[in-house]
Amino acid sequence: MPVLTTPSRAPMEGLERLMCGYQQGDDEAARELIRRVSPLLLRYFLVQAAGRRFAEDLVQETWMRIHKARPTYRTGEPVLPWIYAIARYTGLDYYRRTRRVEVREEQVEVLPERAAPATSGAAAAPDLEEMLAGLPASQKEVIVMLKVSGMSIEEVASATGSSAGSVKQKAHRAYEVLRAKLARGVMKA
Amino acid sequence: MNDDAMERMLAQAAENPNAAECDAAIARAEAALLKDLRPARRLASPMTLALLFLAVFAAVAFLFAARLGLGGIHALSAAQRANIFPLLLAAAGFAALGLTREMRPASGRHLGAAALAVCLAGFPLLFLANFRSLGMAHFVREGWPCLKAGVMVAIPAGLIAALILRRGFVLSWKMAGLAAGTFAGLTGLAMLELHCPNLNVLHIVVWHVAVVATSAAMGLATGWAADAIRRRAASKRLHS
Repeated sequence: MPVLTTPSRAPMEGLERLMCGYQQGDDEAARELIRRVSPLLLRYFLVQAAGRRFAEDLVQETWMRIHKARPTYRTGEPVLPWIYAIARYTGLDYYRRTRRVEVREEQVEVLPERAAPATSGAAAAPDLEEMLAGLPASQKEVIVMLKVSGMSIEEVASATGSSAGSVKQKAHRAYEVLRAKLARGVMKA
Repeated sequence: MNDDAMERMLAQAAENPNAAECDAAIARAEAALLKDLRPARRLASPMTLALLFLAVFAAVAFLFAARLGLGGIHALSAAQRANIFPLLLAAAGFAALGLTREMRPASGRHLGAAALAVCLAGFPLLFLANFRSLGMAHFVREGWPCLKAGVMVAIPAGLIAALILRRGFVLSWKMAGLAAGTFAGLTGLAMLELHCPNLNVLHIVVWHVAVVATSAAMGLATGWAADAIRRRAASKRLHS
């Protein structure tokens, strides 16, 4: 089943060591952790609906919460599920609040411009946000955690507070939708 | 398009987002976090925390029961004591485990609702098996003080649980509130089993078990309010 294959873990190796260093007040470890995890968090928030406008702010807010929560990280446990669990609730807090505000806002005549796609060498690459557009938020987050961060099914289940079976089901459904979209030629292959 | 091609597409699309956006996010996080970085004191292990919650359960239930009178434990037979108190301790242990999970991100599924369901389904069955009906005389007049006393014991137990919860990092205060409310309700129930000498099964099933339900509802409502306040504060930070 293709859904179960995950990208190489190599770039994410050593995160546990960095997190322990960060917990102990090591500047260099914290800097390296921020450098390696921030792009993942940014990508996570970018693919969420209405995330682009505030994606960078949400990454910042997530780091503030991670900083506050760092005593609760346990040595030897995978870091990414712990970080994504915090990011997930940061996003939920934000979306719940803004959804209420946006309902009351008037519709704008000109839609805000999307930020330019990734720069050099990425012109022909498909855009992840475009690919995942239209999927429910729960399926998007599962695909991002599996495919962008290379987390295992069990780690995604731990980050989302659900069962491994539920994660597999969401990923499978997301793949079905993506396959159908590709078959209709909705996305640029 | 086959699955492999789609996997490749996803992998390609999953490359880093806009480099300028990434650099800006990294610079902001570094500026905020590294200026005054100090070692953080690690949270105690889940086992230690669970034992701490159980100690709170036992201490609060016993102290209040001792103050109000230990008529209940004297009225119970040895078999009833052997059936009820170990199960009360086991339920409190399950609720304590749920509380420790709320203190750490990514520590597993929420157990508050499951603990409440176990209590609301299990304890009536346990009491039905251990006591017999003595009629409905003075049902409300005798029951209401028990509910009030149980809830009055649950409130301090819930407050102590909340203080311990604050040592961790609670992601959902609503779920933590439900777990804390259930735990506190069990403390109230344990106090009533130690204190109340009324052995009428209807009285115990309705009024004693109602302490758990009432306390869980209070915990859920308090957690929901705490979440709303926190969300408002976070939203202000984001929009400022």
